Amino acid sequence: MHRVSVSLYAAALTILIYGLLWWGPSVLSAKERSGSPGIPPEKAAAYVYAVIKADRTLYTTEIVNRLQAKGVITASEHWEQENALMLPAQFLQHSGKLAAENGSGVRYRLIGLWPIYRRNSPASDLERNALESLRKNPDLPVTGIITSGRQQYFQAIYPDLAVSQACIDCHNGHLLSPKRDFKLNDVMGGIAITIPLE
Amino acid sequence: MNPARPSSRAETRWGLQLKLILSMLLVGVVPLMVGLGLAFWQGSREIQVVNGESFKALAEETARKIDVLMSDEVTRTSRIAVDPSIILELEQRRDALLGMTEDERRRAMDKLASGWEAKDTAAVQTVTGGKMAGLIQEYLSGAKSEADQLIPQVVRSATKMLYITDIEGNLVAALTTMPPFANKNTVWWKGAFNRGVGQLFIEDVYFDERAQSYVISISLPIMDRIRYGVVGVLHRVIDAKELISPSISPIRFGKTGHVMLIDHRGIVMSCPILPTGVPLSDAQLIPLVTPLQPGWVSAPSDGHGGQSTSLIGFAPVPETSRATNSDLIKGSWHTFVWQASDELFAPIRHLLTWMAVFSIIAVGLMTSLGYFAAHRIVMPVRRLQAAAQLIGRGELSQPIDIQTGDELQDLADEFNRMNRQLEAAFAGLTDQVAVKTQQVESLLHSTDEILDAVPTPIIMVDHDEQVQYINRVGRDSFHAIPTSTASIPLFDILPVDAAARAHLRKEFRRAQRGGNAATTSGTEDAAAISTARDPLTPVMGTAEPNNRQEIQIGSRRYHYQWFHMAGRNQGEDRIGLVFRDATDDSLLQDQLIQAEKSGSLGTLTAGIGHELNNPLFGILGLGEAIEGEADINRVRSYARDIVQHGRRMAEIIRDFTGVAARETSDQRQPVHLERELDQAIATLTTSIDASGLTIERTYAGDTCVLALPDQLRQAFTNILMNAIQAMKGRGVLRLSTSLTNTSVVATITDSGPGIPKQHLSKIFDPFFTTKGQGEGSGLGLTVARRIIKKFGGDIRIESQEGSGTSCIVTLPIIPISPPTQEASCTESASRSMPQPSPS
Repeated sequence: MHRVSVSLYAAALTILIYGLLWWGPSVLSAKERSGSPGIPPEKAAAYVYAVIKADRTLYTTEIVNRLQAKGVITASEHWEQENALMLPAQFLQHSGKLAAENGSGVRYRLIGLWPIYRRNSPASDLERNALESLRKNPDLPVTGIITSGRQQYFQAIYPDLAVSQACIDCHNGHLLSPKRDFKLNDVMGGIAITIPLE
Repeated sequence: MNPARPSSRAETRWGLQLKLILSMLLVGVVPLMVGLGLAFWQGSREIQVVNGESFKALAEETARKIDVLMSDEVTRTSRIAVDPSIILELEQRRDALLGMTEDERRRAMDKLASGWEAKDTAAVQTVTGGKMAGLIQEYLSGAKSEADQLIPQVVRSATKMLYITDIEGNLVAALTTMPPFANKNTVWWKGAFNRGVGQLFIEDVYFDERAQSYVISISLPIMDRIRYGVVGVLHRVIDAKELISPSISPIRFGKTGHVMLIDHRGIVMSCPILPTGVPLSDAQLIPLVTPLQPGWVSAPSDGHGGQSTSLIGFAPVPETSRATNSDLIKGSWHTFVWQASDELFAPIRHLLTWMAVFSIIAVGLMTSLGYFAAHRIVMPVRRLQAAAQLIGRGELSQPIDIQTGDELQDLADEFNRMNRQLEAAFAGLTDQVAVKTQQVESLLHSTDEILDAVPTPIIMVDHDEQVQYINRVGRDSFHAIPTSTASIPLFDILPVDAAARAHLRKEFRRAQRGGNAATTSGTEDAAAISTARDPLTPVMGTAEPNNRQEIQIGSRRYHYQWFHMAGRNQGEDRIGLVFRDATDDSLLQDQLIQAEKSGSLGTLTAGIGHELNNPLFGILGLGEAIEGEADINRVRSYARDIVQHGRRMAEIIRDFTGVAARETSDQRQPVHLERELDQAIATLTTSIDASGLTIERTYAGDTCVLALPDQLRQAFTNILMNAIQAMKGRGVLRLSTSLTNTSVVATITDSGPGIPKQHLSKIFDPFFTTKGQGEGSGLGLTVARRIIKKFGGDIRIESQEGSGTSCIVTLPIIPISPPTQEASCTESASRSMPQPSPS
């Protein structure tokens, strides 16, 4: 009997020690979590957009436009075969693909209501509605939460303007292009940035 | 053309004709061949370029066609991939899988996999009988397609497998049981899943064991509804040949021209000739035809097993290549356009063949025309040649008649004129020859007469020692028979003993060999040989009696001389032997020598007598005076005079014997010749009147000779005294020295009256003098010669009557004069004082 009570006592003590060991850090981590400052997804998307836009603007003006103007090299859709520069739109799409392949979770791509390739048409109602509204009001991005199964994502769609003559020339001249009357600074489509929500 | 004709004339004629024909052929054929070769080369190049460009264009066009075909296939397949029902199913499946633990997931999958592999009905039903499988079936059968988008039958049958996997690569829907269950580790699945991002992946051709054929595959990621991530992969396996062949097999041109599709490894995907799946026969061809730009190449093989140079056009399939193996760099598809070279170059070969045929005809024409042309040119030349031969023989009677109207006709006219002139010239020539012959005959006759008239025997001998001619005196002297002279050997005529005969033979051979006749004395036959000369020409100067050969024949003694006569008109050279009877001459000579000696002795004796007489009579007179003289002082004075006369006599005797006045040592020493000469003249000019004398000196420098200075000076004094006396103290005296290698030559030339010729030979004789009584002893030059000879030198006198006399003294110089020698030379010269010496 005594032996049983000793055993019970030891078991209770062990549970207590383990309980303390488990509870302590969890209390601490709970404190840390509650104390860490978060940023809203709109802001995160805005940061991403700023980087993308800066990169693409730099590529378009300082590389493509400048080198084409100097006659050094041209930009072409079939840049691999023709030993040319990739088009600014291709630059964005390829960089988006690379970013996605990195596994960070953030995705961005160019979408449009009149894409040359159908893979770049809007994938969801949010995207479609956003493109429609951006045509009318290009000043503000359209944001929303989308779900795929149980996973939720934040999406922000920024307007994409015809920033250079190369964009217009390609879209107005391409065989597969459904719309051929773009002008400079027209809203040609949008940049859709998707960030997974925890 | 006609080599059988043996005549050399015919060969020569044919040679000219042949040369003309060959020249014409060469002129025609060489440019023709060069032109043909260049035309063929240029033509081939242009055909290559034109066809290459066409091949390139065709390859590009076909590549675009393949692109359209493949993008059609991708589009059709993607319709399945974007089907919302399938996406929903797969999303749910993804969420279900994500909801399970690792173990649960593995267990469920293992169960399904083993069931699928074992063809378990429940498992098979789950995959092939599900909702998604039904949808796939509908898409493939065309039920889901719109009215204008029916899948062509060929594509439908070409599809070997069509199935969907989940995010784990496991099979979730299929049409048949053929597909494998787990695909996570396959290249296409990884490529299409692409870490959840998804991308189109087209696989290169490979042999599929399940489908039992060479296939390509299209793998499409199935994205979730918001197109954020991959929820499954749609995989479609298509028979490569069945899919592609309808598009490229109809493209044929010519018999062999066709298009084929290869991948970046050079594996054939579709070709009308090669089976699908085989590599190109030549691996070296692959890098040439798989660049990322379209082009054409002239390759060393055709890729179809042929090793001939081939023209290949190629182009990458632009859009499809982006998706093959996920990247353009990792693999691309290429079209390949080829036509067999034989067929490609057949037109230009035909052209060349025809041109060769026409060339042969042209060459034939050229040969025949060349033959006629050459014949026309050569015929007149042959006639000219024949005429020239006739002219050569003097038989051309008819003028040459060539009427070609060109240079050959002019040449024939020239021949005719030449022939006329030759005929005229020959007519005069015959008379001239007769006259000249007569002249020659008379000349020969007179020569014979002259030779017969010569009072000495002359014999002409040929090379075999056979006597060819002997003159009358010779015949008489040697008792030769004139009729048979031609065959008589020389030594049958000359009756001499064996030694003389051998000696004569030796001389004969010498004369024969070099055209030189030995004129050396009989005792020195190995000595120098002088040049043969005509014995009839007068001998210049006095002949040396010792150099004359002599021979004793019978009781007579002959001088003889060989001479060489060059044969004329290729005739043999002849050797002549001329004799002179010297029997009487020798006697006379002996007598002359004797008389000369007696004469000299007489002069000597008279001279000595005369010279000694004067002092002797003085002594006698003084002796008589002493006898009768009482005054002792006067006696002493007479005695001194007697002593003086005695000394004078002793001097005369000493001069005669050549002993120097002072008994100096006999040691010779280096002496300056010029200084001795100068001192001698200085001494002389102080003692005798030389006011009208001009002395010109031309010295070679300070020349050292080995001599006794006093004696040398005395020799010069004697010579100079003679010269000054000859000039009577007025005129020009030239002193000069000149050097040869081994000796110095001192020349003393006066401008006196010269020495008569008859005196020249006696000038060195003792006591020979032309001066008056008491003026000279006649010993000056004798002494001088003795001194000079003693020092190894020589002295000679050259004189022309009326224009002065030159005395030439030659003395050996000291070969090398080192500084010490030079010093002693100078020393001795300064030591020797000028000393007047009587002559």
